Amino acid sequence: MELTRVNQLPVIEYEGFTPEENAELRRGGLVLGTLEQVKGWARSSSLWPLTFGLACCAIEMMTTGAAHYDLDRFGILFRPSPRHADVMIVAGTVTKKMAPLLRRLYDQMPEPKWVIAMGVCATAGGPYVKSYSVVKGVDQVVPVDVYIPGCPPSPPALIYGINLLQEKIRMEAKGKRVTNA
Amino acid sequence: MALEDEGNNLRAEEMLLNVGPQHPSTHGVFRLVVKLDGEMIVESEPVIGYLHRGTEKLAEDLQYTQIIPYTDRLDYIGAMLNNYALCHTIETALDLEIPERAEYIRVIVMELNRIGSHLLAVGSYLLDLGAMSPFLYVFQERERIVQMLNQISGARLTYNYIRVGGVRLDAPPGWLDEVREFVPFMKEKVKMYDNLITGNEIFLARTKGIGVYDTETALAHSLSGINLRCTGFQWDLRRKRPYSVYDRLDFEIPVGKNGDCFDRYYLHLLEMEQSLRIIEQAVEQIPESGPVMGKVPKMIRVPKGEYYTGIEGTKGELGFYIVGDGKDKPYRMKIRRPSFVNLQLLPKLLKGENIANLIAILGAIDIVLGEVDA
Amino acid sequence: MSDEQQQSQSPEDQSNTVKPAAPAKPAAPAKPAAAAKPKKEAPPPDPRALEAKKTADLVKQDIVEKFGDSVVLDTEAALFTPMLRIDAKAWLKVIDYVRTHQNWMLNYLVLMAGTDYPDYIEVEVRIQSTHLGHMIGFKTRTDGRDNATLPSLVSIHPGVNWEEREIYDLLGVTFTGHPDLRRIMMWEGFQGHPLRKDYNPWD
Repeated sequence: MELTRVNQLPVIEYEGFTPEENAELRRGGLVLGTLEQVKGWARSSSLWPLTFGLACCAIEMMTTGAAHYDLDRFGILFRPSPRHADVMIVAGTVTKKMAPLLRRLYDQMPEPKWVIAMGVCATAGGPYVKSYSVVKGVDQVVPVDVYIPGCPPSPPALIYGINLLQEKIRMEAKGKRVTNA
Repeated sequence: MALEDEGNNLRAEEMLLNVGPQHPSTHGVFRLVVKLDGEMIVESEPVIGYLHRGTEKLAEDLQYTQIIPYTDRLDYIGAMLNNYALCHTIETALDLEIPERAEYIRVIVMELNRIGSHLLAVGSYLLDLGAMSPFLYVFQERERIVQMLNQISGARLTYNYIRVGGVRLDAPPGWLDEVREFVPFMKEKVKMYDNLITGNEIFLARTKGIGVYDTETALAHSLSGINLRCTGFQWDLRRKRPYSVYDRLDFEIPVGKNGDCFDRYYLHLLEMEQSLRIIEQAVEQIPESGPVMGKVPKMIRVPKGEYYTGIEGTKGELGFYIVGDGKDKPYRMKIRRPSFVNLQLLPKLLKGENIANLIAILGAIDIVLGEVDA
Repeated sequence: MSDEQQQSQSPEDQSNTVKPAAPAKPAAPAKPAAAAKPKKEAPPPDPRALEAKKTADLVKQDIVEKFGDSVVLDTEAALFTPMLRIDAKAWLKVIDYVRTHQNWMLNYLVLMAGTDYPDYIEVEVRIQSTHLGHMIGFKTRTDGRDNATLPSLVSIHPGVNWEEREIYDLLGVTFTGHPDLRRIMMWEGFQGHPLRKDYNPWD
């Protein structure tokens, strides 16, 4: 018997379970909902990016990670191997020669994973959009969660973008699907 | 080549190792395919082109002033120098006169950028070798430089500030005083880096005597910049083909002795000192006020012919070759990129080395991928 | 023809007495003031350009002594740099000769660039002498754009290895004698030569 208000409550899809099992888990309600939120808090507070600096945006990413604007206070630790990473910050222009490798690295990252497109080159091709060898936006290759405009985006802009991603992770853990901020 | 060990019947073969385009060192998307025999490098082959953005082809479609932002993104660590290289070629082609104040501002800004670039080179070289602290220290100083350049040009990394005929905007009031205060501060810091890094035994063991070459090889391979001066050959384009107001400024050209990685690192520190000297003198000599943009036609048209000038960029000789045909867009623009030319020596330097020395040698060549690929 | 050239070219080129025989360059529309400043009709040629032309002629003499007359096709001054146009077949020999000739000693190759023209591809090289301090340029043309070939300079100036590979990749000039001629900027299997004027990215 369906209560009318149930349809309006946020519905949480648990990963890796069939729809029947999902319905069972949802009836668990309070405990498991909170568990999802705890998982969301843990994942967002300790994002480990893959060092994927391609071009000039990489310098701003390094600046953000270094002393003056520190990223370690957000729990961010740059990992060189994709197997250890949560998020891939695509910083710089993606060329057609590099795109298959980018896809391969994305596939090597374990779930759950997110992608931040940093800079206008990764967002939509940037100033090189008319070039013969540039992929016009990294979302043609991997699904992107947060786009950060700027050429290059200044470190406060990058920090804002990362904070948006953290909020998105937490909101999605509550069951709401986030598509725009 | 398969070796056999008699006792245990071990068979050893060569292995291909891919130091892939994505790697923790900070140079960018550069791939090195290395053939290893145990730990010895037998052969290596750099593969580039992962950042080829087609700047030269795009330039054929843009007016000269519109190309300047693209030049920022070539050697993105020393963007002012790229801007200047293009503007210098166009100004030589058109025989324009640049006002004094503009020239001095250009010199100050370029030398500040050179210091910033050398700081980053030192920091990332040490990060490659495994030392984390200098990387964090250099970004503190670099932040100060970048803030000053931000005040005068409006951007932190890709300045788009030097234009044909002068500079875009005059320095805001108080900027020159800030620069004047920065010089002694930075001199102290360079001494600090020297104390921190140069005497470190591990660093010396990893860089002294590694990657040695002599002047003959360097000249034959068209090396320039620090890679050429580390062999003891004095060749600096600020002295050999003087441009801007460098002939009125007094500075030395430091050279190395042995041509190894340690010399290349140490030259970065010495050049920072010389750049500080240049900035000090330029801030004294700059005229108090004056125009910062010379007489430039509204539409810049370069007459028919080929023009090339090279300047001393942070990594070597940076030059722009423009084939003009009287229109407002170049017919062909070719960029002579120092990192592209310097990198050709890498396979030769790596032959027979230990794989542990690979990163030390690659880091000392000091490449920027934006420049290698253009 | 010479009137139009007088009007449309900068004062330095007016010192050219030998013009390349009707190159099919895209004809620049005759502008009254091609240079930046408004100039009078026939300004005197710049003395630096005359110097450069004299140096170019001296180099030509030396080369012609050794290799014969047909090798040097043209001398001019490309904005104060002496420039010689060499026949494509003698390219390697001439560059090697001036590298060790005691008057010129051109041992430090600074630039190698290729340009695409409607009928041919032109490759230009600028070489500096670290002992004597001058810089001289040499250019050569391929015949035609299909099957454009030139001898490679890698054996005498190893620093042009990648420059030649780049010209091969982006312009399609094959360098005979190059140890490792492959595409460098684009990936293997890429069709076409992007820097050519008739490159169509959509095919």
